[in-house]
Amino acid sequence: MTAPAAVPALGITARLRAALVDASKATVVAFGLFFIMVGLRTDVSPTGALFLRTRWLDVALLCAAVFVSRLALALWLGRRKPEVGPAWQAAALSRAGLLFGPALLALALILPFVPGIGRYELDLGILVLTYVMLGWGLNIVVGLAGLLDLGYVAFYAVGAYAYALLAQYFGLSFWICLPLAGILAAFWGVLLGFPVLRLRGDYLAIVTLAFGEIIRIVLLNWVELTGGPNGISGIPRPTFFGLPFSMSGGPQTFAGFFGLEPSPSHRVIFLYYLILALALLTNWVAIRIRRQPIGRAWEALREDEIACRALGINITNTKLTAFALGAMFAGFAGAFFATRQAFISPESFTFIESAIILAIVVLGGLGSQIGIAVAAIVMIGGFELFRDLDEYRMLVFGAAMVVIMVLRPRGLVGSRAPSVLLGEQRRIDARFVGEGRG
Amino acid sequence: MNASRQHQPGAEILRVDGISMRFGGLLAVDAVDFQVQRGSITALIGPNGAGKTTVFNCITGFYRPTGGQISLRRSDGSIASLHRLKDHRIARAGVARTFQNIRLFAGMTVLENLLIAQHVKLQKATGFGIGAMLGFPGYRAAEAEAIDRAVEWLRAINLLDRADDAAGGLPYGAQRRLEIARAMCTMPALLCLDEPAAGLNPRESDDLAKLLVSIRDGTATRSAATSILLIEHDMGIVMRISDHVVVLDHGRKIAEGTPEQIRSDRHVIAAYLGEDEDAA
Repeated sequence: MTAPAAVPALGITARLRAALVDASKATVVAFGLFFIMVGLRTDVSPTGALFLRTRWLDVALLCAAVFVSRLALALWLGRRKPEVGPAWQAAALSRAGLLFGPALLALALILPFVPGIGRYELDLGILVLTYVMLGWGLNIVVGLAGLLDLGYVAFYAVGAYAYALLAQYFGLSFWICLPLAGILAAFWGVLLGFPVLRLRGDYLAIVTLAFGEIIRIVLLNWVELTGGPNGISGIPRPTFFGLPFSMSGGPQTFAGFFGLEPSPSHRVIFLYYLILALALLTNWVAIRIRRQPIGRAWEALREDEIACRALGINITNTKLTAFALGAMFAGFAGAFFATRQAFISPESFTFIESAIILAIVVLGGLGSQIGIAVAAIVMIGGFELFRDLDEYRMLVFGAAMVVIMVLRPRGLVGSRAPSVLLGEQRRIDARFVGEGRG
Repeated sequence: MNASRQHQPGAEILRVDGISMRFGGLLAVDAVDFQVQRGSITALIGPNGAGKTTVFNCITGFYRPTGGQISLRRSDGSIASLHRLKDHRIARAGVARTFQNIRLFAGMTVLENLLIAQHVKLQKATGFGIGAMLGFPGYRAAEAEAIDRAVEWLRAINLLDRADDAAGGLPYGAQRRLEIARAMCTMPALLCLDEPAAGLNPRESDDLAKLLVSIRDGTATRSAATSILLIEHDMGIVMRISDHVVVLDHGRKIAEGTPEQIRSDRHVIAAYLGEDEDAA
């Protein structure tokens, strides 16, 4: 670490003056916004006519709050800037970070048996794990290969519909459809990959976005095959290697075979472990492949595409494998989603899903497995946590995201772990790592 | 320098035959031909805008020439027509290059940079990714060998102690050396360097000259002797290490020969000093 540039020590009065000016500016901006958005309000009078109601007190309070908090922030940051965290603190933090992953995994493994974990918590766990898996899958495309994909949900949809349709028309079981869904999604990944190979950055993002919408609109309008907006219902639930989860308790059911009391929670626990296993598979593949030539080529592609070409790396194939592998995991997740819900419709695969998955990847730190897991827990779990706030939920949620991005602009885990080392373990500072330009 | 390295028929590694490159109405390179002898350092020089980098990009496949032929004669005698190949195919055929503005993988370690250079070979050893995924010994051996080669080159460029640092964090001179080592890790027959001494201080330039000579002679590492084609503005280096010099001006070849011949060539002096040729 280089020592921070010597900052001339400002006097307390000078700092206070600067902070006051800064806070005043912020207050003027806040007044400009709140004057219209809060100060003026149209209401319907008892006679049915519109009238303008003013709320100047609220505006004044909000502006005062902005002034005070901005002043405090300016003073606090001004004081803090020259400081550098002590080295032992950073070392302790990184050691804690090493234990964090295994601890999280252990918690995930025993979660269904922790006392106080009910149906609701397990359902939430399944939801979070689905997004963890999708985040890890998208991370291959966005985090490693640096290709900004805004239509990732399309592959999720392909996986879900692949299972639903194969089960409906051909009566295939979940365990046969799971790999098929992955293969079909990977196929569509390659199909999308071909035309967009030459595009970079913003253009790539727009085309992938369009692709995501095309898939959804086809699903919506091809009524004979997909049922259109009505979706597909009655999708078979998964079986425990042929043993259905049924309340009848017969010998050919899960409960009967193992001599258990039939309970609806068996299926939930089974689904929980199923998605946990799928997510861990995604994680394992991503970790292993990073240390392989193809994984390194993805990261090299993110860093500098032209240099890759000069080293004999086939850009086309490298990008296509990233698209295909990322899409395959979305396909697996989609098949799981279909069997869990037993009902799917195009509603579930809107752009906002892609945005949430991308937000998880960016928030977690491009390329970081553990960061993405934490980001998924924060995003999906946090969203549930704020449920009581009703209409302010989105506001609080948005503010939380802004705060995280201000404090950690490269995501929760911004540094990069090298894929191969001669000496001891160390990480690469985020400022060197490229973000990819598509 | 060494007279025995001068033109011997059939000993050339690269033959450039009348290549032209046209960008719209601009003829950047006009029917240039020259040869690079096996085991030599050939320098391509000329004033700014002479078309050096364009010729370079044609050879390394970043441009496709509008006319002419470029052929690489491999050590087994087979000939690759570079003007027909795509850029990554050219790299696989045995032509490695560096860039005028350094293009390292900044966020990856020095060692990773050198391993990516060996991607083609390593990827073949993975068995379509499955063998490496499951940790089969075939791939592990290939990777160990690749790391050995990388370590050898790190020793040659004096960067072994920085192997696990981010390439983007290295000092400028070290980045230049690393880019050359990365190109050499592809085990090329011909190494093309685009202004390798740009921005180096005199001591670093000296080291670079020694490194290039040792690459030509095959003494840098255990790898074979490699022919070098370089573009360079630093005449001190060009005159000291080149076996053969080709001079371009306004897209045409105006002279070629040994450094001594070039130094006294009146066309070259005119091109560099901007004198009117008729008056000279």
